[in-house]
Amino acid sequence: MTPEASFPVQMVSGVPVVTAPEEIDIANADRLRAALLGAAVHGHGRFVVDLTRTRFCDTAGLHALVAAHRRTLTEGGEVLLVIPGPGVLRVFEITGLDRVIPHAASLEEALAQMPGI
Amino acid sequence: MEVTARVDPEPVEARLRAIQSIMDAALSGLDDRELLAELLDRIRGVLGADTAAVLLLDFSSGQLIATAAAGLEEEVRQGVRIPVGRGFAGRIAAGHQPVILDHVDHTTVLNPILWAKGIRSMMGVPMVAGGRVVGVMHVGSLTSRRFTGHDIELLQMAADRAATAVQSMTAQADRIAAAALHRSLVPTALPAVAGAELAARYVPGDGGVGGDWYDVFTLPSGELCVVMGDVAGFGLKAAVIMGRMRSALRAYALETTDPAEVLARLDRKMQHFEPDAMATVLYAVIDPALEEMRVCLAGHFPPVIARPGRPAELARVTPGLVIGVSPDVRRPVATVAIPPGALACFYTDGLIERRGEIIDDGLARLCRAVTAEPAEAACAAVMRALVGSEPARDDIALLMFRRQADPPVTRIAGQEADRDA
Repeated sequence: MTPEASFPVQMVSGVPVVTAPEEIDIANADRLRAALLGAAVHGHGRFVVDLTRTRFCDTAGLHALVAAHRRTLTEGGEVLLVIPGPGVLRVFEITGLDRVIPHAASLEEALAQMPGI
Repeated sequence: MEVTARVDPEPVEARLRAIQSIMDAALSGLDDRELLAELLDRIRGVLGADTAAVLLLDFSSGQLIATAAAGLEEEVRQGVRIPVGRGFAGRIAAGHQPVILDHVDHTTVLNPILWAKGIRSMMGVPMVAGGRVVGVMHVGSLTSRRFTGHDIELLQMAADRAATAVQSMTAQADRIAAAALHRSLVPTALPAVAGAELAARYVPGDGGVGGDWYDVFTLPSGELCVVMGDVAGFGLKAAVIMGRMRSALRAYALETTDPAEVLARLDRKMQHFEPDAMATVLYAVIDPALEEMRVCLAGHFPPVIARPGRPAELARVTPGLVIGVSPDVRRPVATVAIPPGALACFYTDGLIERRGEIIDDGLARLCRAVTAEPAEAACAAVMRALVGSEPARDDIALLMFRRQADPPVTRIAGQEADRDA
């Protein structure tokens, strides 16, 4: 278990970016959810989740990301994930989420796709 | 504390005695339910109140439910429920703040038992554990009185102690219920299938049982169905959702023979009735001759297939979307051949996921550990190789299906001939 105090949410080029931790699991998925909610509020539904540092993401972590994605579908907005490495991307492929939740290979690419408001 | 500001020693001593009564270490020896009853009795005593009660928050309904009482037992017996935000107790829970009522009547108190009993004044505080309100503790007086700040402090001490006890009581009850539910739904006994062997393992993670399950059943057509699933989350909530998914999937399996359609109906049902749930499911239908299986994946790992004399490999099944994400998804179905003596290994992520490594490493490790040997031996070998003596962080489900090797025809014929002779 690696308890992390918080998940930083930074405004980058006018878009809230949540930096996900190295490991997302049942121990911190609730805090990730809270951070995603906060980012959604700041960005009026549009925000980026940066999974560059993330090496491990279990079902609880995926569930938090799916919940955020579903919220943008019902309440309007857009969530974009940054998944550069093959590790987390593989989990998204196996769960079929790679074809459902929009993602980019780098933060720069993500921000280019989601211009600030 | 304002104790030092007081000059009169007698109230100070009385107050210390009151605190001692509430914080008494001897109470720690009681079980949680007894502790709650004893705390209510003592707080009533030290405050000179006539009634004391605890209402616990039911998170699913957002209602406070009368759970323990002293001098107000009818509240518990009649199953009083107060919505959060309404009435006396509801306001305390919603505001996370103590409330004092100098005059009790139907305009200030929702629960008719309280004013019908003749309670004139009341005071209540929130019970907070782990940063959230788990209930409300309140006391009442049959004569009009003004509760003070000191009274509130004493009641809050009792409420804090009760909240901790309640949290451990709820956690323990949930753990026991989840384990019992899981045991009833994921039986260790598997159906006997002529021409095949089955073996399984389920190991709860260090947080207790989770949402992993497996199921094996036959259809009227003679087909054999294998299910492996993992509901996101843990404990009672995950076990309850798992139970619902398990029975819904069985029902849909009777309605249609197309594995993708079974998962599509399951997904639709889940998104309608449990919109917040997410789960991965593998559903495989093995033909009556046990020669092949049709596999459909909803976000789940593909089975590992070990054919005699060959290294085991992941079955080639195109991934399908996890359950609970989008409506009307069509998932691919793959047909996988099961030659005589071959073994199919079904599992959940707890078996292969390790921190600090990518999923493919875990899958490769599993493939190396699986061989086309008898199902029970294969289960033991995989658990030994992948789990060893490490405590499991996540729960683990593992199911092996092995088609028996064709018997050497000549020898059987010889025995038959002998018997006939």
